[in-house]
Amino acid sequence: MQETDSQSQEQATATKAASAPAKSRTLWGDAFKRLRKNKLAVIGVCWIIIVVVVALTADLWAKPWLGSPTASDSTTMAETSLLAPCAEHPFGTDALGRDILVRVIYGARVSLSVGIMATAISTLIGLVMGALAGFYGGIWDTIIMRCADIFLAFPYVLFVVAMIAVIGRGLQNVFIAIGILGWPSIARVFRSAILTVKENDYVDAARAMGASDARIVVRHIFPNSVASIVVYATMNIGGAILTESALSFLGMGVIPPTPSWGSMIQDGQQYLLTAPWMMIMPGLAILSTVLAFTLLGDGLRDALDVKMKDA
Amino acid sequence: MGKYIVKRVLQFIPVFLGVTLILFALQNIVPGDPIKLIGGDKALSPEVELQLRVRYHLVQSDEDGNAILDENGDPVQTSLVDRYLYYMNGLLHGDLGNSYQRKLPVTDIFAQKYPYTVKLAACAIVLEAIMGIGAGIISAVKRYSFWDILVTLTTSILVAVPAFWLGMLLQLFFGVILKDATGGAFSMPISGAGGSSSQYQDWMHYVLPTITLASVSTAYAARIMRSQLLDVMNQDYIRTAKAKGLSNRAIIVKHALKNALIPVVTYIGVDFGGMLSGAILTETVFNWPGIGYEVYRAISMRDWPIVMGGVTLIVVVVMVINLLVDISYAFLDPRIRLGGPSDKA
Repeated sequence: MQETDSQSQEQATATKAASAPAKSRTLWGDAFKRLRKNKLAVIGVCWIIIVVVVALTADLWAKPWLGSPTASDSTTMAETSLLAPCAEHPFGTDALGRDILVRVIYGARVSLSVGIMATAISTLIGLVMGALAGFYGGIWDTIIMRCADIFLAFPYVLFVVAMIAVIGRGLQNVFIAIGILGWPSIARVFRSAILTVKENDYVDAARAMGASDARIVVRHIFPNSVASIVVYATMNIGGAILTESALSFLGMGVIPPTPSWGSMIQDGQQYLLTAPWMMIMPGLAILSTVLAFTLLGDGLRDALDVKMKDA
Repeated sequence: MGKYIVKRVLQFIPVFLGVTLILFALQNIVPGDPIKLIGGDKALSPEVELQLRVRYHLVQSDEDGNAILDENGDPVQTSLVDRYLYYMNGLLHGDLGNSYQRKLPVTDIFAQKYPYTVKLAACAIVLEAIMGIGAGIISAVKRYSFWDILVTLTTSILVAVPAFWLGMLLQLFFGVILKDATGGAFSMPISGAGGSSSQYQDWMHYVLPTITLASVSTAYAARIMRSQLLDVMNQDYIRTAKAKGLSNRAIIVKHALKNALIPVVTYIGVDFGGMLSGAILTETVFNWPGIGYEVYRAISMRDWPIVMGGVTLIVVVVMVINLLVDISYAFLDPRIRLGGPSDKA
């Protein structure tokens, strides 16, 4: 019964598609159509939208409902601390009597902003470096790629920690540290994209017409490699969120009492025996959000038909 | 081949110099005076402080080991260049200097700590190889089966899990919830519990940290194995083997696996280098006395000799392992010729 249903549906869409000539035949239009058919990617997008909306509107409903994510009331702390999940506190409370759910919600702001800002910084630096290395080649290529090797030779987490030691803790510095250290991989992706696109006839044609180097890169080469960059950046957001949580877990991330998923897990570590919900809930938040970005990245990769290395 | 190895080893030099230079620059930028931190809460007397600065080659001294003072009576700082050359000179003689905080030669500290990192990395890489390759093969051979979906789902989730959180969940599950069932075997290495290093002699203590450290890489290894095997199974020579009437098993074991394994082995090799760099997060969660946590602690204590020595050690190990991986790649896959006009991205 179900099968015939879906079959007739398919027929219906097929006839519809045949009768009305497909409107969008652009790369992105097609990719969007393919993406919509990928159930896992749609789930990922939905979850990302939910997290963003919840994080942005938290002031309107979460704070009045569950209380402040940062302030603790010392007069009632004895009764409200380390409560197990209940109707009033769906995720339980922490040692200072603060509601875990509201802290997880506000922690999403930190994670999302780090994910996006750090990725933006890495992508920007990576694009410029990759363009210089790939387009000009020669000495530029050697210098930039050697620099990339040096950056990649460092143990990554230690490098981020050292960077934070230099510039200090705090949200902006976490953006900067994770962002700056993320450029080599993007630079490599863009460089190899440029190397393949550069030899095309239309680049020669553009040059013959007197286009400047910058114009060639921005107008002719970039659009042809933007798909792989978009896929890579999407995956990178998840990675940056994981790095931020690791930093906060080590106590090198945002400054308390600002809630961050990683620092909440660290707080929960010492209550592992008595109040395991303190570390379980923020961990689930990290897991689901990073997974959503990975699913979206996988979906985009398939939809845009980008060939990537697996790792 | 020989030429290629020489070329690669020569490439170590700029990377190595770059890393040490960056570290040296860091020492000067990072706020906090490491010598003042030695005293902890108590302030050191100026004489002791000066002596320490002389000992660590931070101020210039004469032949008798007395600090050279300028006309204002202040000690003369050694220049950064001077200190860098001093460090490199020591390094070439196998001396990494002395720790500020522990008053021990850095080489002694690492001789004591590094085996723990190596042992944990070795356990994790074995687990990763067996589980990753095994799961990848099963899910590729039985494509779209229950097992394939299970493997795909598990690997997607594992890639998104923060390793330190997984470690704590394992502690919670095996150490707390299953404490009676397992006889408390896994309950000991709960972080923050402290304890002497003797607790690590029991192989049981390797189980949870190994799983934690191997988790993410195992997921990647399984994914690479699966996609490679599926790729290879579509190739002509596999169709020929099928046409010859070989059994499915023979095709996979004798023909497909050999080629499909190459990228997986490469990945696992590079990953081994990463694990030998120490695993700060796993080590922190399990209170594991490895090199990653040691260097991390040293950064927060501004104990620069340990940071320098540790990162130097890590970088050399990683570069050597990556070189070995690349060389073995050429042996595994004769189609690859090293040293040619390579434009690897």
